[in-house]
Amino acid sequence: MAHALPDIPHEALLGTLARADADRLKAFAEVLIPQLGDIEVLHSRTGLVMLPMRDTAQGTAFHLGEVLVSEAHIRQAGVEAYGMRRGRDLESAMAMALVDLAVAQGIAPDACAAFVRAEADAAASEDAQVLRRIDATRVDMETF
Amino acid sequence: MAYVATRGGDRAIEQSERLFRDAMGDITPARVAEVKQALPYLIDRVMGEASLYDEDLAALALAQTGGEMFEAVLLLRAWRTTQPRLSVAEPVEQQDLFTHRRISAAFKDIPGGQVLGPTLDYSHRILATDVLSGGTFRPDPVDPADNPAPAHQPSVSAWQAENDLVDLPEPDTTEGNDIPDLTREPLLFPSKRAHTLQSLARAETGGALALGYAAMRGYGSAHPTVNELRLAEAEVVVRHPRGTKFSAGRVKVSQAEVVSKKGEKLDLGFSATLGWNEVKVIAAATLDLNAEGAPKGSATEEEFFLYHTEGVESSGFCIHFKLPHYVTFQSSLDAMRDAKAKRKAAETEPAE
Repeated sequence: MAHALPDIPHEALLGTLARADADRLKAFAEVLIPQLGDIEVLHSRTGLVMLPMRDTAQGTAFHLGEVLVSEAHIRQAGVEAYGMRRGRDLESAMAMALVDLAVAQGIAPDACAAFVRAEADAAASEDAQVLRRIDATRVDMETF
Repeated sequence: MAYVATRGGDRAIEQSERLFRDAMGDITPARVAEVKQALPYLIDRVMGEASLYDEDLAALALAQTGGEMFEAVLLLRAWRTTQPRLSVAEPVEQQDLFTHRRISAAFKDIPGGQVLGPTLDYSHRILATDVLSGGTFRPDPVDPADNPAPAHQPSVSAWQAENDLVDLPEPDTTEGNDIPDLTREPLLFPSKRAHTLQSLARAETGGALALGYAAMRGYGSAHPTVNELRLAEAEVVVRHPRGTKFSAGRVKVSQAEVVSKKGEKLDLGFSATLGWNEVKVIAAATLDLNAEGAPKGSATEEEFFLYHTEGVESSGFCIHFKLPHYVTFQSSLDAMRDAKAKRKAAETEPAE
């Protein structure tokens, strides 16, 4: 299904919202609520996601363990929207689902795009800082 | 002697629990936050052994049990059973890991280079006793490099395969709920490889180390060299109801490959776990490397090390011995006394 932010793929939108700062995400979703109208909540719960990994010795997929997540699954006028974030915070998962719904329904597209871009930039900047600190530990070995 | 039955002790039990909890005092959100912030490697160890990733819950479990690791892991394993399983994520692939540390002891010039990441490997182990005299230990800040490291590092074993040193495995297409899961099916032997690796991922660190160390010292057939060790973050990739795959966040993972010469190729052992725990994955990968053809009952035999590194079961079995065993012990005493009486009777009987 197409959504109202053609230059932000759905995968990137969801990945950014899942990682967005919880307080900023909730504050932004709060602004959208009056424009969204009645919403059916299918799920608002915590639960576990099993995380498999692939073994590099023999190629076998096996379970590393489970990850606690918060999930919000909502529907409006036949359109399903979804939030899932790591940790125990039902409000931020619901906020994610509300932004996903707003984007799918074409509500406040400019504000949604600006919010998602700002959060994506913040995440990229955080990653770059982490990776600069990691690169400081790169070994320059001399060969004798 | 008749056997001894007991009952009662309710008050003593109640007070003993109070006595235990009294030592920790109030458990507040601030304490949980401090445990989480101050002890990330302990949090990781608990999450890995509990097989449940959430730093807040792990910190709470540690605060609630006063750091009694086995109790903390048991609390988390028990809590986990109250939660529904919502989905199974996409399998984590090595080349997609957001890598913080990646080293090889086998090859100096691995593609992507050696990146130490956070470690005390090359540090002097000096206790900062000034802190106990009122000082503050303030670590020197990291001097960031001008450019970021690549987020994703290539696989060492893939590079070795290109050089005909290892045989790359056939890709396993099993996914989702079809991946064998120890939490829903019994561990049977010979174990499925997915069960073996899941069991090692959940293994108690000390147990894995003890048996892995035994293999390293010579009680195994293969001496390990660390081919690749990674501390990284993995994306938890799930599916939106409309079909889009996306990352619901990252979790810390550790992964180790160890190698040993096998004919004209290198033989690989593997292990990974939730959280950052190098000792556990190196020891567990050593057990994996040594498992094939290991003698029955040896430290490196699969059945032996999988059963004996399951921390909740082993600690539970160990501590059950301190619970009342009056009936069985009295039975043993009866048998001893009976044997003694018969021997005495035989000694006093006149010779024929």
